[in-house]
Amino acid sequence: MKEPLLGAFEEHNKRKHMVGPLQQIHAPMRRFRDYEEVDYVIVGVGSAGGVLVQRLARAGFNVVGIEAGPFWDTEHDWVSDEVGSHDLYWTEPRVTGGSDPLALGANNCGKGVGGGSVHWAAFTPRLHPSDFEVYTRDGVGADWPIDYADIMPYYEQLELEMPVAGPAYYPWGHPHGYAYGPHPMGGVGNALIKGCTALDIPVSIGGPVAILSGSHGDRPHCIYRGFCIQGCKVGAKASTLVTHVPDAVKTGAEIRDRSMVSRIEVGKNGRVTGVHYFDIEGNAHFQKAKAVIVSGYAIETPRLLMHSACAGHEHGLANSSGTLGRYLMAQAGNVVMGRFDQPVRMYKAPPAHALTEQFYETNAKNDFARGFAIQTVGPLPVAFGKQMIAAKKAWGWGLRREMMDYNHWATFGLLGEILPWNDNRVTLSDDKDRFGLRVAHVSFNLHENDKNLIKAAKKKTEDVMWAAGAEQVVQEARYAHLVGGCRMGKDARTSVVDKFGRTHDVANLFVCDGSVFPTQGSANPGLTIQALAARTADYLIEQGAAIFNSNKRDMATPRLRRELAPPATWGKGVPRLK
Amino acid sequence: MKRFEEVDRALCPVDPDTGEVLEPRAQPGYYAGFSTLAQRAFWDEATRKVVDKRVKDAPQRRYLSEQAWEFWSTVFAHLIPQTDRTPERQINLVAGLDHRLEVNETIGYRYEDMPHDRVVYAWGIDAINAEAKHRYGGEFMVLPYRQQDVVLKALHDGRPEAASDIWKKMSVHRFWQMIMGDAIEAYYAHPWAWDEIGFGGPAYPRAYTRLERGEPEPWEVEEQRYAWAAPSASVSDEVRSVSGHHTEAGQHSLLDKGGVR
Amino acid sequence: MSKEASGLEAAGTHDLEVVRNHIREGRFQRSLSLLTAVTSIVSGLEVAYEHYRGSYSRRVMYTPVILSVLLAVAGFAGFFSKRAARTVLRWVAFVTLVDAGVGFYFHVRGIYRKPGGWRLPMTNMIMGPPVFAPLLFGTSAYLGLIASYLQREESLHADPDANEDSWLTRLLPSAAGRELISEEQDIREGKFQQQVAIVAGVSALLSGFEAYYSHYKNNFRYKAQWSPVAIAPILAGVSFASTKNRRWAATALPVISAVAAADAAVGFYYHARGVLRRPGGRKHLLYNIMYGPPIFAPLLFGAAGMLGGLASLLRRRNR
Repeated sequence: MKEPLLGAFEEHNKRKHMVGPLQQIHAPMRRFRDYEEVDYVIVGVGSAGGVLVQRLARAGFNVVGIEAGPFWDTEHDWVSDEVGSHDLYWTEPRVTGGSDPLALGANNCGKGVGGGSVHWAAFTPRLHPSDFEVYTRDGVGADWPIDYADIMPYYEQLELEMPVAGPAYYPWGHPHGYAYGPHPMGGVGNALIKGCTALDIPVSIGGPVAILSGSHGDRPHCIYRGFCIQGCKVGAKASTLVTHVPDAVKTGAEIRDRSMVSRIEVGKNGRVTGVHYFDIEGNAHFQKAKAVIVSGYAIETPRLLMHSACAGHEHGLANSSGTLGRYLMAQAGNVVMGRFDQPVRMYKAPPAHALTEQFYETNAKNDFARGFAIQTVGPLPVAFGKQMIAAKKAWGWGLRREMMDYNHWATFGLLGEILPWNDNRVTLSDDKDRFGLRVAHVSFNLHENDKNLIKAAKKKTEDVMWAAGAEQVVQEARYAHLVGGCRMGKDARTSVVDKFGRTHDVANLFVCDGSVFPTQGSANPGLTIQALAARTADYLIEQGAAIFNSNKRDMATPRLRRELAPPATWGKGVPRLK
Repeated sequence: MKRFEEVDRALCPVDPDTGEVLEPRAQPGYYAGFSTLAQRAFWDEATRKVVDKRVKDAPQRRYLSEQAWEFWSTVFAHLIPQTDRTPERQINLVAGLDHRLEVNETIGYRYEDMPHDRVVYAWGIDAINAEAKHRYGGEFMVLPYRQQDVVLKALHDGRPEAASDIWKKMSVHRFWQMIMGDAIEAYYAHPWAWDEIGFGGPAYPRAYTRLERGEPEPWEVEEQRYAWAAPSASVSDEVRSVSGHHTEAGQHSLLDKGGVR
Repeated sequence: MSKEASGLEAAGTHDLEVVRNHIREGRFQRSLSLLTAVTSIVSGLEVAYEHYRGSYSRRVMYTPVILSVLLAVAGFAGFFSKRAARTVLRWVAFVTLVDAGVGFYFHVRGIYRKPGGWRLPMTNMIMGPPVFAPLLFGTSAYLGLIASYLQREESLHADPDANEDSWLTRLLPSAAGRELISEEQDIREGKFQQQVAIVAGVSALLSGFEAYYSHYKNNFRYKAQWSPVAIAPILAGVSFASTKNRRWAATALPVISAVAAADAAVGFYYHARGVLRRPGGRKHLLYNIMYGPPIFAPLLFGAAGMLGGLASLLRRRNR
């Protein structure tokens, strides 16, 4: 076929706001005035913010989600192209440093409605029960103020809402199954299966990934085009933009996009009263609110709280513990590349489609605590070229030659747990952004345990690549994900928020995003972030007006409100193994 | 090949067996006959617009001075040489850089041991010229190809011998990483480069159907390898699979003991 | 030993003769009920994992799985009981046929709703719901329906219930009703060669097309992958010719049907081998059955061959 039947594809529905080819955003969207005191302002409509906005709106609250980036129309704004997807990432200025500086931007930070979930690869493993008591078990890191049993019902719930495709039986952590079936394999996944099988390592095939293996209402299933981290135009990959935000808008939430929150205002009674923000033209506004939830992720959340320093909160809002911005974590994400004699064509199929968590837990034989996972990754040419600069020191003709073999390479990513350290932190730099606000400075340093872990993980991943039949194996050191900086804990002296995300210092100020993680495991954080958001929402709904007019803290666990899930969740998939 | 005379034969890749110069091709690489652009009717409109712009728009200089534009064009022609391409099928590598500097677009962060991107590209000229003068007694632009390659290789290796004042304020590794990154973003974002490496290009709404064993789609082609060697005037054809230190994130420090800071 | 062998052989020839007569006279309700049960189990397994690949993302996707179980049970019941064959089997088979039609609608719609929809027919048929699979799923239901109208092997003379009106004929205008009754009568007497031949032909075409695009997805890596694509149109052609020509039905039809069945058996072997040769092989057997070569698909192709064989043995309508 020279062209599709009826000619080249053209964009239709230009006047509708589409998220995916079939799903559209309800219009008109409800609008609140700045002077109207809404119930909740949510700063950042990303992984956590999207879920919060949806839950709270469906429960009947007046909610405004303020988002720095655009409210995407995926048919119009997104492209099936690597470099053309630059705008999906947080490309506002930041400074990164320390002995082992983190790459930010495209590596781990999203901008626009859906946030990072727009450009995640959508691996959605759960944390293991051990992750919630790392300090108790291993004497390192920290314990969570909740345990696995607290979050498990929310894992199960969000796995249905996204939904997550994966094997019927997933053996690691707390074993469970998935309601959506596993995906077919691409060349990289087959290499991982081959390598693991040869070494007798169990491997999870075709998931768990929040990518549709079967259609889901108005969301078609995956078409295996490999552009997951460039934003899924198909709408098959879950992002809150396609899973939760449409329902939020339909049930009366407002998404105020291209608006950058600059400061949270604290009233005379020590409670927050709203947020200051700049609109796209740089005009300053103030939105009144009865409560504020910050969901800006591990860098922007601490930054905003630091910017909101005021009398009584000189070192940053809700920072009486001095831990705001500290205990920032990224996971070791070394990419191991293997060249195969036969072509692989790794650009086909989602980058995320097989993994093993066989080495996840602490093993007494190791010279380090905690562990790592091995996952498939599938860089497209530009990303692969940049990896070749590092892995093979390729340049000039050497680079051209390596790149001509692009189709012969398969890549695995290890995902290694780096522990929370006091000196890994977000502070304010002297650089200013376009609004004159000081930008974030991120400082990151590896410690002994991290280094030993990375060394072992790298070796194991390379072993698997050799066992898969590679004739050459190289690697590039890098990091993946970003959590911590506003950690939750029982003790107000060593943490920023309590187990429901409420700041210890201000009764109507919440933080809900990846920054609340005390430790991170070696699971991709996306699912846990959304599960925590749903849990926080249930807590807020359970507390009702008490949040708005009382400083009392009720620490009782709320009930899980399945009825508040987006209606499209139900009536799909297979019964799961628990 | 028309306009072959415009390409210096000494700079063209050669047949490793005979040593004969390989004629420049409209499409180098092992996928003769493969064209992603021929598939553009199957792409969605938004993607088609973005890729068309990349292919059709004449490069425009807005930010860089004429000299700087020439300078970086010459440097990038070493970072990603294209003398195996016929001139009309060579990909402009600095237009994207010029645009990005003009609108002050970054990758979303700068390293604390690096100045702002615009400064990087200003200091970069001084540093490279200093290295050229130190090694060969002339500015970079007047040196013969091979000497230019050697100057750049010193930066690639992280061992510049001149301009220590600049390298104190700017990490040579991060500098190399940035200029290589910009060159790669320009070259490998172009459909002609996709054809060269056999990458399928945009794939929405049309899916891929043959996911396994590296099999080509009906509209893709099988690999047809041929042997080639870099021109003798170049020193850039060696690669090492040691754990390097130029990375997106910087190599973890334990791997970086041999690196120069 | 030779005596025994020749005795067995004689018995074998004799049995074959009996079977052939039974089919000629429409007296094979038991065997066809059993066959319905077996094919229903096979197509039930196929649809169960195919729909699992689609994650059962609509509740309606469970219906063929449930119905294939019911049809298998009804088929076994029909094997043991004439009454069950005439009632339960007929009903379940009818509902299953309707479900196959509903499934066909949903599959056509599913392809329409994929990115690019029917404007990318090949891609979306390969990567979307297999468009003809529901109709092929209807094959076992068709067998069950036929079985329900046959006589039992042991019945020696015309059926006493022969003129019993079926519920459908009562609903229809009398002319059409009479037509249907006489059709029933013909089936009961084994005189429905033409009908079975048409069904065999259609099912050959459908499964041949399925074989074409799923082997096309696989880039026709093995020459043998062309065989069902080549055989299917011949089988279909001969089947359709048989409806017009008695001689074709007696000669070419059994031959090409046997070829198709044999090819299906070979295909089954290669598909099973292909499953085991996938990365992870036996260790990830269930996954590899799901995403490897569909091991039951050749058997559905074989079913078309079997129908052709059946048709060749039947008698034709008198009118």
